[in-house]
Amino acid sequence: MKLSKTLSALILSFILILGSFGTANAKRLTAAVADWTGGEITCQVAVSMLEEELGYKVKRVVFPSGTGLWEAIAAGEIDFACESWPSYAEADTVMMKGPLIYDGKTMFNYEGDGSVKLLGTSGIIGLSDYFIPRYAAESLGIKSWKDLNKHKDKFATIESGKRGRLIACPVAGWNCHDQKRLDLLGIDFQADELGTEAAAIAEAVAAYERKEPFLLYLWEPHWFFGAYDMVGVGLPDHKTCDSFTEANNWKDCGTAAWPATGWAKDYTFNYGNPETFAKAEHAKAAEFFTKMKFDNADQAVMLVEVKQKNRDLKEVVKEWKDANPDKWRSWIPN
Amino acid sequence: MSNLVETVSKTNQSKNIITYGVILLVFIVALVLSTQSEGPSKFPKVVTDEFKFTAWVNEGEDYLKKNYRWITKIIASYIKEGYYFLEDFFLEAPWLLVAALFFLPCLISGGLKLGLYSLFVVYFWGATGMWDESLQTVALMGLSVLLCVLFGTTLGILCSQSDRFDNFMKPVLDTMQVMPAFVYLFPALFFFGIGGAPAILATMIYAMPPIIRLTNTGIRQVSKETVESATSFGSSRLQLLFKIKLPMSLPSIMMGINQVIMMALALVVLACFIGAEGIGGQVWLAIRNLDVGWAMEGGLCILFMAIMFDRFSMSFSKQVDPLPSDVQKFYLLPQNWEKYQIARIIEKPLSFGSSIIDFVCIKITNLIAYVSELLISLFSKNNAIEIGEFISKRYYVIPSLIVLFLISFINSSIYEIGTFPSDWKLSIRQPIADAVKALTVHPGFIGFTKGLRAFVYLNLLHPLDVFLTHIPWWFTMAIFVAIGYFTVGLRFAFITALLLLFIGACGIWSQSMITLSSVLVSVFLCFALGVPLGIIASYNERFRNIQNVVLDAMQTLPYFCYLIPVLMFFGGGIVSAVLATVIYSIPPIIRLTSLGLTQVSGSYSEVSRSFGGTLLQTLNKVKFPLAIPSLVIGFNQTVIMAFAMQIVTPLIGGKGLGLEVFNGLARSDTGRGLAAGIGIVLLAIIIDRISLAWTKKQRIALGLEKN
Repeated sequence: MKLSKTLSALILSFILILGSFGTANAKRLTAAVADWTGGEITCQVAVSMLEEELGYKVKRVVFPSGTGLWEAIAAGEIDFACESWPSYAEADTVMMKGPLIYDGKTMFNYEGDGSVKLLGTSGIIGLSDYFIPRYAAESLGIKSWKDLNKHKDKFATIESGKRGRLIACPVAGWNCHDQKRLDLLGIDFQADELGTEAAAIAEAVAAYERKEPFLLYLWEPHWFFGAYDMVGVGLPDHKTCDSFTEANNWKDCGTAAWPATGWAKDYTFNYGNPETFAKAEHAKAAEFFTKMKFDNADQAVMLVEVKQKNRDLKEVVKEWKDANPDKWRSWIPN
Repeated sequence: MSNLVETVSKTNQSKNIITYGVILLVFIVALVLSTQSEGPSKFPKVVTDEFKFTAWVNEGEDYLKKNYRWITKIIASYIKEGYYFLEDFFLEAPWLLVAALFFLPCLISGGLKLGLYSLFVVYFWGATGMWDESLQTVALMGLSVLLCVLFGTTLGILCSQSDRFDNFMKPVLDTMQVMPAFVYLFPALFFFGIGGAPAILATMIYAMPPIIRLTNTGIRQVSKETVESATSFGSSRLQLLFKIKLPMSLPSIMMGINQVIMMALALVVLACFIGAEGIGGQVWLAIRNLDVGWAMEGGLCILFMAIMFDRFSMSFSKQVDPLPSDVQKFYLLPQNWEKYQIARIIEKPLSFGSSIIDFVCIKITNLIAYVSELLISLFSKNNAIEIGEFISKRYYVIPSLIVLFLISFINSSIYEIGTFPSDWKLSIRQPIADAVKALTVHPGFIGFTKGLRAFVYLNLLHPLDVFLTHIPWWFTMAIFVAIGYFTVGLRFAFITALLLLFIGACGIWSQSMITLSSVLVSVFLCFALGVPLGIIASYNERFRNIQNVVLDAMQTLPYFCYLIPVLMFFGGGIVSAVLATVIYSIPPIIRLTSLGLTQVSGSYSEVSRSFGGTLLQTLNKVKFPLAIPSLVIGFNQTVIMAFAMQIVTPLIGGKGLGLEVFNGLARSDTGRGLAAGIGIVLLAIIIDRISLAWTKKQRIALGLEKN
């Protein structure tokens, strides 16, 4: 009996509320929140523009990046995601169609099936490499990755035993192939995948504070470089390897090409569901994405605010937006 | 006579020696084999190449997606509509209305204490800035509980009516309960989309078994005499079911609902991995940012919410004993504090206020009942009386509805109340973060954590990892099959062999050995810590009471909250993964140790003491042997929980099958994830069955159970 009481109470109150509500239906979009801080900031910049300038209501969904996210976007479950780095995306060549344009120049031409739409470059240009702290580079005399093997015992931890340790690309879905790279280049190190960016950085910070040598995978722009003095080990220049895909059972091209090389310069882009952005009601949002041009310097400043000063990300973005209207005014379609 | 005893003990002794000898021999052979092998043992390439389980699953998924996607899309869109409706309602309703929606039902069903507690919970959500997220979680959970109860009771009733259906459902329910939710969480994603809908459906799979089981047993347990007397009065089968059996099994069903709520909450939080909104997403973001304070706030929001729903649903199945009329009823403080003057002074105004409220409520309800009776009697006399009675009995519900209506009326036409006031914010984020930071730079503490980490890794985890992965697979398999044969029987040994062959053929042998070693090390540590705590608790009642409260709290917390404290002090890595597993799976072993020891009837230990046994001797020679069955049950539960935890530990650096599941998700490779998920389930099942069979043998040997 008591159950029926509460049920009737719930149902009745709902009817009451229905009567008292006339909810205005805002235009809705669903965005994926990136799983690294830089990406989160870029995303928040785009979302705040959509919400405050174009009258959208954006649902933010926490979803790990990787092929799964691309499929979710193709299926229309998520409308858009921000700041994809071409060398980390595996699905981009399969699912996107059309040119990647930065500053009016075509950087790459995608020839996929078009199930995901390239919305435009985000303005962030990324670079990834392996890094060691400057004190270690100087005291051990390490000039490039070729010198790493000589000092591998200095880089060892209890977990890696006799081999050195690389604090590797934290998320498998990013497709860094760190262990494969180390093996191909003959670096006797073990790639340690720690699961999250934060865990990897925490390890690096602890090691730096203790002034131990350590090898770290990292990308720019990142706040870590502002706080700690790091040097790249200069991996070989990027070269693609066509057979190194899952469909070909990851057949590598030897030491000459990816993944035995470093990463290419990444012109990052925003991407979304083609059907959503073909709709007339979202035309302005689509136009906004073609115009958006965020930049590395601004992101770097905000990264320091968020990660080092521990401030709320939304607040930091809001501050930037209020202080620099001239930077983003031109992105907003009339 | 004495001769006989001697020979029996002698044969027992020699049997023991042989058993230990065999175990030692097997171990030495394994050691030799593992040190001789070059790398980790691999299954023959011919088998793994031919057995393309992953590819088959992916093909099957593609086929289903192509041909049946439209059905799932329709189902998903219905659920989504329901969820969006609920979510929009919660997020846009004035905060006072939301607070009243939690407060009033809690007040009515659980009394003033629960009412005040619910207000605190709602305040905490708002104060920590997780108002929206908490309500999203509530909406998701509410909808899934509703659906679970709807389908679960129906299935439970079907089970109770047909033995054949019951037999069919039993293994299905077993699988539903053991299968890690992750395994079906992301196939659900590709059929039902992202966010609310797949989360709710996955929650239904996860949380429905208890209500099906409890409805079934509840109905089956209705006594034969009642059923017979009802049939002799000529009630039909349906009448018997709905008028007699179902009402009589309500307490059992209510208990089922309580369990469904707790399990649904745990899974809804986990569903953030497939894009469901809510506090889970916040905790995950916090873990990703290593922000302990933030994660802690999220964890506390969930914990408080869980306790509130637990107490709320419990209050339905609990009967309150009526007090004698001359005793003053206490509304807030425990009744047995009546002897204290202060307690009586505090309670006096409360009881006064409550009688006023009672009076007003009854009057208003009666008035409404009278008016509506009058109004309806214009149309039909009979109905009017019935409706009047119906209303006048609900003298708490009707006034509550009026309050709710008033709030929404005021909000829409007089004064907009809006969302939770931001001035009332209170954050414990910074203090916690500061405290943790202070602790993590403390040299003594760093020394301790580093030492522990090194000890666990070098002495336990690493050797066992190497040992298990390097033993040839056929040898490990033979050991498992032999244990299965000796403890359970031939049939189980055969099944074990098949299950292990499946794991090997999927090409995940070495990952599953890593998982096994993490679980074994975790369980070992659980024992090393849990048994002493259990012993202390069994001797000291005060310690036991405190410990029970802590354990209760631990068991209501969703399991990936355990990553937080570990992350905070030990950083990421495989050792941290083991430590998080230990924290999560230690409660049953503590509980069952103390239970087992306290249950050993007093007479045994008294006899032993009167023969001059010391405390230690009594414990060692009398109590422990008798408590073994209870300990083994604790072991069994701990193992299952440790396996379940393997799914989330990759978030802080765990390896093995759990990582495979994660990688499957990131690559949208369902087959790979599913194979790894099934691997975890199979390992758990094998160990579960073996330890259960062993308990049974022990109980029979002790004469506690008949063969």
